[in-house]
Amino acid sequence: MRAERLAPYVLVAPAVLIIVALRLWPLALGVNFSFTGDGDLNGTPVGLGNYLELAADPLFRVSLRNVGLLVLLLPVAVAIPGLLATFIYLRVPGHRVYRSVYFFPAVLSPVIVGAIFNLLLGYDGPLNSLLAAFGAGPVDWLGDPGIAMFTVTGVHIWATFGMALVVFLAGFSTLDATLLDAARVDGASLARTIWHVIIPSLTRTIQFVFVTTMIGMLTSMFGLLFVMTSGGPEGSTYLPEYYIWHQQGQMNRPALASAASTVLFVVMLVVGLLQITLLRRTGRQD
Amino acid sequence: MPGTRLARWAAAVPMAALALATIYPLVFTANVAMKTRRDYVLDRFSPAASPRWDNLAEAWAGAGMARYFVNSFVVVACAVALLLLLGSMAGFALARLRFRGSSVIFLGCLAGLFVPFQVIMVPLTRVMADTGLVDTYPGLILAYVAQFLPFTVFLMTSHYRTIPAEIVDAARIDGNTVYGVYRRIMLPLGAPALLSVGILDALFCWNDVLIALLMMPSPEHRTLMIGVNALRGQYSDDIPTFASGILIAAVPVLMIYLFLQRQIADGVTAGSTKG
Repeated sequence: MRAERLAPYVLVAPAVLIIVALRLWPLALGVNFSFTGDGDLNGTPVGLGNYLELAADPLFRVSLRNVGLLVLLLPVAVAIPGLLATFIYLRVPGHRVYRSVYFFPAVLSPVIVGAIFNLLLGYDGPLNSLLAAFGAGPVDWLGDPGIAMFTVTGVHIWATFGMALVVFLAGFSTLDATLLDAARVDGASLARTIWHVIIPSLTRTIQFVFVTTMIGMLTSMFGLLFVMTSGGPEGSTYLPEYYIWHQQGQMNRPALASAASTVLFVVMLVVGLLQITLLRRTGRQD
Repeated sequence: MPGTRLARWAAAVPMAALALATIYPLVFTANVAMKTRRDYVLDRFSPAASPRWDNLAEAWAGAGMARYFVNSFVVVACAVALLLLLGSMAGFALARLRFRGSSVIFLGCLAGLFVPFQVIMVPLTRVMADTGLVDTYPGLILAYVAQFLPFTVFLMTSHYRTIPAEIVDAARIDGNTVYGVYRRIMLPLGAPALLSVGILDALFCWNDVLIALLMMPSPEHRTLMIGVNALRGQYSDDIPTFASGILIAAVPVLMIYLFLQRQIADGVTAGSTKG
């Protein structure tokens, strides 16, 4: 009987051990580590030294500014799949095909997506020859510091909007169809139907998509940056995750990288909580 | 309103254009892979005159992609097997067994879900280096298991919560031990969830760049995605061969997508509806 009572613990033990040892413990270790020095100062406490250095580092400031840009673009990245899902739900001609087609890039690795778009977006590449055929361009998609970050973000959205689309469609399947019928009987326009019926009914789904899309933007663009721009041109496409990788692996500054990790974690917590509060409040007003 | 036929067709046009924009990049790459270098320089868009399989053979052999494939396959297979085993064990216990501390443990697993890899990559690499696991297969496998275990436990727990507790109780009365219930009842009943979580975990591991880059520094240990990226330097002046490499690396995932699309979508949405 004693073995039986221990059984639940035996079942959860391996998972708990791995999660604690390799996810939660490193988090504490990293925060602790960020207050120590690099190189000759390895292991010695330096107080807020790393954080001050981060604040003064133009590259890290660019990476934070780019985070701000991503947060501003977030509504677009959520609205596109949301609108597409609405049309698919309303059975636009060909809706079955669209669902599978749109989702398809979401399963490709950022390396493959990045490599394909490197071909398409090169200065003498196909997209520019296409633009030239219409008398426009050429645009230096990946070489112009003012454009490159938008290009990479656009590619990221291209590659991931299918994920959010599928989540939206799952949300739609819980939608009360009689509400839509009522709107139709009342002769409401499409825009009004979306605003007054669909959005209020899908608050939870929208909230979920906002938070996961933001996490995706802040933590899964490394592959694209690595393949498409390496943080360039002129450091204009740095994001915290790329900065952390660069400082740790390339510059041998692990403690500084840990400080950047801690800042990223705090930024994510703040933005995430802010979103949830904001969305809750708008949800309540309706 | 949405019902009018005209409005539906008006929406269908941009949606069809977007669908084209979603597919075209891969079609373009496949077409380039079939061209000679000369054809590519002369005209990028025209359909390849006659399909050239030489490029594919060159990318496969010249870049040693077989090695990368084997590396990726071994690591992903082991990681997914472990994830499913540990995830279903923990999920069963958390969903259907009553024991002290279970809610704290569940919250701990959830917390793991909100720690992005980027935030712990420095200390984790250090822990791996200190234990001699960097640049070894077990090291990368363990890193993947740690990365995707919270997600796996979470989804398996919510799946097992949909299975009636009476089934567990009945099996216990029939004289099964807890482990017997897990092996004979819960594992088979978990099959649909194990399939969609397993595919998703496999995709995540297969497509990963950052973890593989950190955990497997030597060239002979490169996973497929790191290897494909290395092709870029090797074939910088031979775009058709490079495109062939991309195509070869994309094929396994495309196959999985064609056959298991529904399971992938189920896995993606499970978190949103049950969370």
